[in-house]
Amino acid sequence: MSTETQEPKISQGANPVDRAGKFVYRLLKAIPVWALWLLVIVWTIPAGSLFINSFRTRDAQRSTGWWKSFTEGGWTFDNYINVFSSRQSGGLWQALINSFAIAAPATIIPVAIAAMAAYAFAWIPFKGREWLFITIVALMALPNQVALLPLLQMFAGGAHWTIPNTGMVITLFPDLDLAGTTTAVWLTHTAFAMPFAIFLLHNYISSLPKELFEAARIDGADHFTIFWRLVVPLSVPALAAFTIFQFLWTWNDYLVALTMVGGNGASYPATINIASMAGEFGMKEHVLSAGAFVQAGVPLLVFFFLQRYFVRGLLAGSVKS
Amino acid sequence: MENLIDAFWGVTISIGVSALIFVGANRLFDFVVDRWFVFQAITGAIFGTIFSTILIGNRLVKGSALLLVVLTVLAFSVLTSIPQLIEKHRTRIFVGLLSGTLVGVIIASFLKESVNPQIQTKSFIFTVLMSVLVYSLPSAIIKKFRFGGLLFFLVLGCLIGGWLLSEIGNGSKDSTYLLTVVPFALIGLALNIGPKRNLLERNHFQRRTRVGVFLGPALFFVTLGLIIPLARTIYLSLHGLKGREWAGLTNYGEILTNDSSIDLRDWSNIFTSRLFIIALILLAIGSLAGVMLGKKRGRIIQPSATSLTPTAIGIFLLIFAVLSTLRGTVINNLWWVIVVTSFSTGLGLLAAVLADRIRFESAAKSLIFLPMAISFVGAGIIWKFMYIARPPQKPQTGLLNAIWVGLGKLTPGSVGQFIGVALLLLATAGLVALSIFGIRRKQNGISIGSLFVSVPILWILYRLLGPGLGGVEEGARGLPIAKPILFVQEGPFNNVWLMVVLIWIQTGFAMVILSAAIKAVPGDLIEAARVDGANDRQVFFHVTLPTITPTISVIATALIVLVMKVFDIVRVMTNGNFGTQVIANEMWQKTFTEFNLGLGSALATVLFLAVVPAMALNVRRMQRSVIQ
Repeated sequence: MSTETQEPKISQGANPVDRAGKFVYRLLKAIPVWALWLLVIVWTIPAGSLFINSFRTRDAQRSTGWWKSFTEGGWTFDNYINVFSSRQSGGLWQALINSFAIAAPATIIPVAIAAMAAYAFAWIPFKGREWLFITIVALMALPNQVALLPLLQMFAGGAHWTIPNTGMVITLFPDLDLAGTTTAVWLTHTAFAMPFAIFLLHNYISSLPKELFEAARIDGADHFTIFWRLVVPLSVPALAAFTIFQFLWTWNDYLVALTMVGGNGASYPATINIASMAGEFGMKEHVLSAGAFVQAGVPLLVFFFLQRYFVRGLLAGSVKS
Repeated sequence: MENLIDAFWGVTISIGVSALIFVGANRLFDFVVDRWFVFQAITGAIFGTIFSTILIGNRLVKGSALLLVVLTVLAFSVLTSIPQLIEKHRTRIFVGLLSGTLVGVIIASFLKESVNPQIQTKSFIFTVLMSVLVYSLPSAIIKKFRFGGLLFFLVLGCLIGGWLLSEIGNGSKDSTYLLTVVPFALIGLALNIGPKRNLLERNHFQRRTRVGVFLGPALFFVTLGLIIPLARTIYLSLHGLKGREWAGLTNYGEILTNDSSIDLRDWSNIFTSRLFIIALILLAIGSLAGVMLGKKRGRIIQPSATSLTPTAIGIFLLIFAVLSTLRGTVINNLWWVIVVTSFSTGLGLLAAVLADRIRFESAAKSLIFLPMAISFVGAGIIWKFMYIARPPQKPQTGLLNAIWVGLGKLTPGSVGQFIGVALLLLATAGLVALSIFGIRRKQNGISIGSLFVSVPILWILYRLLGPGLGGVEEGARGLPIAKPILFVQEGPFNNVWLMVVLIWIQTGFAMVILSAAIKAVPGDLIEAARVDGANDRQVFFHVTLPTITPTISVIATALIVLVMKVFDIVRVMTNGNFGTQVIANEMWQKTFTEFNLGLGSALATVLFLAVVPAMALNVRRMQRSVIQ
């Protein structure tokens, strides 16, 4: 009904120009669908071409474009073997392990801490609750750059304060000698993740039915029991969404790792590893494509199998229900 | 492997300890109501542990550290718990005083000789009096004066005046004893001078502690990891190279006046650039169309698709003309923010709308969304391969240059050129037919629109037939030589090619959220519009779009914040060379490779200031939803 009303009516057997115009009009109406598929193809080509390139020999990659490989061959699996041999890639194995060593704690710990805080903000009334919550959530937009240098200084030498006129130094934060370690990286990630995690989990936890909590309180459950027995099991979707989001974020992070790890190559995560391969683009082009795909492999797997949760996390984070 | 094992242990231990602390704290506060004495004893022990650790950590003690810890813990828990067992008020005060003295004696006996303070009598008395005044005046005014509170401030005054304002190391052991025993005795007194807490107060106290237990860890990380570093960065930004000597606003002045951050020297070239002229023409057409359409409806100007489309494109090209002529880090950042935000949101909206009505919707959306899972570094590498420009003699291996050079190599009369010309002619003919069709049907929008679209097509046709299209130039002996585009190196538009990478990533983000928002538009609303005879386009512009506008603004805000601090892509692809520097990369280089802490911090602060409006917007939004 609706589509018919908007299409201008053309009488049968009108002149050829009219008929051609109508034909083009119809074609134009089909354009949206084609435009979308064109967009999809354009969006797929960059990653797809790198994927194909990663299976081509060095010579093939340097002499012809990837589209020629369908006719000319030149396939190989050596790039993937080479990328794991430390000579060519600077130790991608080690880097992947480091990535895990960073991403695992940087995901688990914020989830736990933020869930508790979100519960407190949602269901424990106290003075100044709204303002504290808004302050923390406002920090969501804080660029990480503003915290990098002070945090690095703190990790590298602690924080000290010299009392004026006495020369006496008070240690405010001990020197834990963390600079260059993966611990420094995930501690930083934990702090940076807090505002978004609290915001996202609060959105969910605060929307749980009020009656539930009242009933539990009447049964004599304290906050600890309610949190552990009620809130955590009920919030699994939100917790999963944030976990996936945070895992992808920390796995793919480059800035924080680069800053906190500094020159200590033994702690490099995979992103730094492939970025430095990219720095020597001419020489390592062929392993780089494989390396980039190995680094992207984990997030892509997560993406394909857990996309639903990931999308849910994004939605909960940006659209207030 | 070692790192993984270390990390595993690290995680296990930290989670275990955190869980233990969390559960422990919860259990501890369970004692508050029923077993006050036990709670007090444990609290005392904890304070004792912390206090002795601080002393040991700052190397202020001599002798066995272990013994000190054990004795302090015991003494502290005696101080806090024993008086609670006594009913008679006077006896309780006396016991409190005594146990405070005990704590003081133990600690003083462990302190090194080198910390013996030499009391400056005048300043000591002054500080003590000040502390009394600082407490008494305000508390008297708000009528909440308590003797216990006064005593605590007295202790504070003693500690500041006695320890911080004296000459450390010159004094005698007696003064150490004096300045340790007296404050602790006063604390013992202060703890017991008031009446004991009754059950109601303890209940109240318990409730408040829960908040602390649940919020504590998060507040710890937020304060230590975000708020204090933010304050310190701002502090450092007002200081010099090493971050020690005061520099005022010099660093900010440097950012604003330096040619590498804002370079306005070429401003006059804006007016002669081709982009600027095209933009002006489009703006003129847009306003002309608006005025003409307005006349028909009796208004001064009529905003409609016909007038707004050229105007919008014109404004966009104008921004391009300005930002590609003025150069510098800050200008680049601005350019990034405008282009990436508008294109990602626009394309995301387009994809969301189009995907809403096709088969295989989720497959199409998945593929557009996929780049979100890839790291910025990975995306930079992926596009580096797309942008490869190889020497003219060699075949191009990057897709974009292969197409570009391939187009240029179409020789006149070749099959390729014939197909191209045929397709373009067909398109032009179709558009012309459509235009005539539009005029006959009195649908000016269709006719004008199709004529517009045919202009660039005709231009491409002209290039293809005449001077040639694509990356080839005439070499020696008239032979064509490939002239690939140096996407990454050739300024200023290499910036745009870098932005494409981020657009590629973020379009999926915008699409997913907008798609959800479109699906959430109430069906009744659309149905009602349809019943009133609205067509697809009208439904979209008058029902769907207004409903999802808040979502669009949320996305735009999020993208602005994200694009403002773009770092990884620029660092991996150009590292700021070839005129592609952005603030975040500049900040990193200045701070961590040139060690100019002041300037680096100032750049970070500029980034912070740039997102303050977005923060304010978020706060407003939150206020509306949290505080009703």
